Amino acid sequence: MTRRLALPRPIRRAQRTLRERLPNFRVHRTGLLAFLGVMGPGLIAGLAGTDAGGIATYSVLGAETGLSLLWVMPVTTVMLAIALEMSARMGAVSGQGLGDLIRDDFGVRWTLVAMLVLIVANAATLVAEFAGVAAALEIFGPSRFITVPLVAAAIWALVVFGSYRVVERVFLSVAVVFLAYIVGAFVVEPNWGEVGRALVTPHLPSEPSQLLLMIAVVGTTVTPYMFFYLQASVAEKGLGAEELPLERADALVGALWTNVIAVFIVIVTAVTLFGSGISITTAGDAALALRPVAGGLAEAMFAFGLFGASVLAATVIPLTTSYAVCESFGWESGVSRKVREAPVFMGLYSALILIGALVVLIPGMPLIGVIVASQNLNGILLPIILIFMLRLVNNPRIMGRHTNPLWLNLLAWGLTGLVILLTLVLFGSTAAAWLGWV
Amino acid sequence: MLFLSRLVGRPVRDRDGDIFGKVRDLIVALGEQYPPVTGLVVRVAGGRDIFLPWTDVEEIEASGARLRTTRIDIATFRQRPNEIRLWLDLLDKQIVDVEDRKIVRVNDIQLAPVEGRLRLVAVDVGLAGILRRLGLAGPGERLARVLRLEAENYIEWADVDPVESSVSSLKLRVPHQALSTLHPADVAHIVEQLAPRDRTGILAALDDERAADVLEELAADDQVDILEALPPEKAADILEEMGPDEAADLVADLSEARQEQLLNLMEPEEASDVRELLAYGEETAGGLMTTDFITITPDETAEQVIERLRELHPDADQVYYLYVTDAQGLLVGTITLRGLIVASPDTPVHDCMRPDPISVRIDLDAEQVGAAIARYNLLALPVVDDDGRMQGIVTVDDAFERALGEGWRKRLPEIYEPAEER
Repeated sequence: MTRRLALPRPIRRAQRTLRERLPNFRVHRTGLLAFLGVMGPGLIAGLAGTDAGGIATYSVLGAETGLSLLWVMPVTTVMLAIALEMSARMGAVSGQGLGDLIRDDFGVRWTLVAMLVLIVANAATLVAEFAGVAAALEIFGPSRFITVPLVAAAIWALVVFGSYRVVERVFLSVAVVFLAYIVGAFVVEPNWGEVGRALVTPHLPSEPSQLLLMIAVVGTTVTPYMFFYLQASVAEKGLGAEELPLERADALVGALWTNVIAVFIVIVTAVTLFGSGISITTAGDAALALRPVAGGLAEAMFAFGLFGASVLAATVIPLTTSYAVCESFGWESGVSRKVREAPVFMGLYSALILIGALVVLIPGMPLIGVIVASQNLNGILLPIILIFMLRLVNNPRIMGRHTNPLWLNLLAWGLTGLVILLTLVLFGSTAAAWLGWV
Repeated sequence: MLFLSRLVGRPVRDRDGDIFGKVRDLIVALGEQYPPVTGLVVRVAGGRDIFLPWTDVEEIEASGARLRTTRIDIATFRQRPNEIRLWLDLLDKQIVDVEDRKIVRVNDIQLAPVEGRLRLVAVDVGLAGILRRLGLAGPGERLARVLRLEAENYIEWADVDPVESSVSSLKLRVPHQALSTLHPADVAHIVEQLAPRDRTGILAALDDERAADVLEELAADDQVDILEALPPEKAADILEEMGPDEAADLVADLSEARQEQLLNLMEPEEASDVRELLAYGEETAGGLMTTDFITITPDETAEQVIERLRELHPDADQVYYLYVTDAQGLLVGTITLRGLIVASPDTPVHDCMRPDPISVRIDLDAEQVGAAIARYNLLALPVVDDDGRMQGIVTVDDAFERALGEGWRKRLPEIYEPAEER
């Protein structure tokens, strides 16, 4: 028996070189896992927190309620930290993505439920991102009816024909602009004692609009797509359970980082806009908060950052969604595939971008309002994904001895219950108001 | 023909026709081409699952199961090592479709009587399986026809290989039989589509020679990841099976601790070859060369050399050029396999060899080595030390890899580079 193949090794290896070097020849590993290969979990969290939804929601929170709901931030930080840690742990221990685990463990029907939730939540977030694009560019003048279709087409084409990684790098660096809020907080000199008190003093919302805002804050901070993204990225890196402490630290740092920026956005907008009578309806209004730092450049700077964050998220979200859906159903996926080869993947990817862009183009659609509403939807749908995650992370068949400890379960289920409760109260009070009971 | 999804949840009746419980799962014994069903898991009142051997089952069909007995021996289910539960262990899991070399999901499982027993014959990976389980078989299939989607897609069990991290119950017991019939390049293609952990699993399951062949087909960064993740003994065994130059290139990219560990575990002879190659600068002839080559002496006859080759049974890639060295180990000539065969059997080597061979010094710059191979149209180029003693050969692919790699990189904008280097 010949040990080697018929061809001499030099020729085989030369052919391998060809396969490696020639684009389109070697079929690279496709799928969510590969697509996420490079990203660091901490960066992902940071990115997800400072997208259009986050910036708009935090700005509106600060402008409309001042510091009174600042205490929500530490709570969402804990939620985010817990959820990210669980995602990272599941990725490390199982070596699989969240969509994969849901399908493996819950079967077709529940997978369909989870994926519908993911599609709806992410479509809503995508609407927010395109609204962010429109709002940012309207600061400079051009109408959204020109900018949004152009940007949507550019994103679609860049990912299909180019490299999403280039996009990612460019726009990720743009998000640095939001560090200006930290500088801004020290320039506007809030009463730090008051800020400290606001952070730790729970203050119940006094009207339904504030409750709605609270849910939006939860929804924008703890976003379902982050978990799919993070877990897949940890699995792709092939990090094992032995590296758990590191992954845990990374998840915590990511959660903290996101929320530090969020807290400063709220502080700055609270000090500059709350009580000034300005309610944020356009990106220009939100940009006013950066005046003390950037002066006349405030609007351009805000627009720049908002545009970058929006485009980045608008690139990532449809891809994450399409990969998660197709992988959990076992369909062909990959952006470089022909429509015939991966019909569901390309169809879903394109449809998401189309829907996101079209909703923003509905005449008279208030951009900031749309963004906050989409984050509400995310907040309402969040518990469903959290429950899937909690069921999986506590399954010893998957997690072995790395299931949640009791205290973590109590905390996680408690917070999940809290979000559900908020939603129920919101629906209840809305229904009551509608029926004329209140 | 039965579908598992249709069967599960159906009533199980005893001989008298009384409902005894519901079908919960089927157990099959792996190993045969079509694994036979060996047991039935029944959910009885109180939510308890009990296990019945297949001999108790009189009949099973889409409407439910009927038992032979009325008296049930409630045995606690003990799974034998080669048995899996279809619903729990296989349904919804990822598998390798060996025929199409793709990773797919099991949407449903097809059973049929073969040779008098109900057996697992195929897995359903198509849309039809999903629709059936959602209870949408009728309208869904009509929709699929309208959209011209291929709804039906079955893979025969013989063409299925499990993905370990998904079919976790099979962990450590996966023989990867189906995979081991494939060409190493095809296995590599499948391995590239898998998550890191499963890649390691497949490589660990293959025998060392095959694993080496598959590893050589993979991209350099994947090779490194896999060698870092494999159990050290296995990794060392695979390295021994690779060409010394390829092994050295690979070892050079490993972490230092891992390098030492693997080299110590390798057979001393192979390890010293690799160590020797590691010592040369990467951008020199020494760094490019391999120590796998065959030397002969000028006094042997063509016949004797051919006889010796038969005994040596060398790899295909060593046999095309043979190197003639004198008693001091100095390179005095080369001869091709063709030259050897067309020479009459009694001709001594020094009469049919090509004297004054082209060779390079061991510290020559890699670029010039490539230039020499290109200029003289060589498949391999001998490398000699300062005294002219034969040390190794540089094969054309290494030169090629270097040249093509350079050109490729230059064509890319700078921003692309870090991302590509993952």
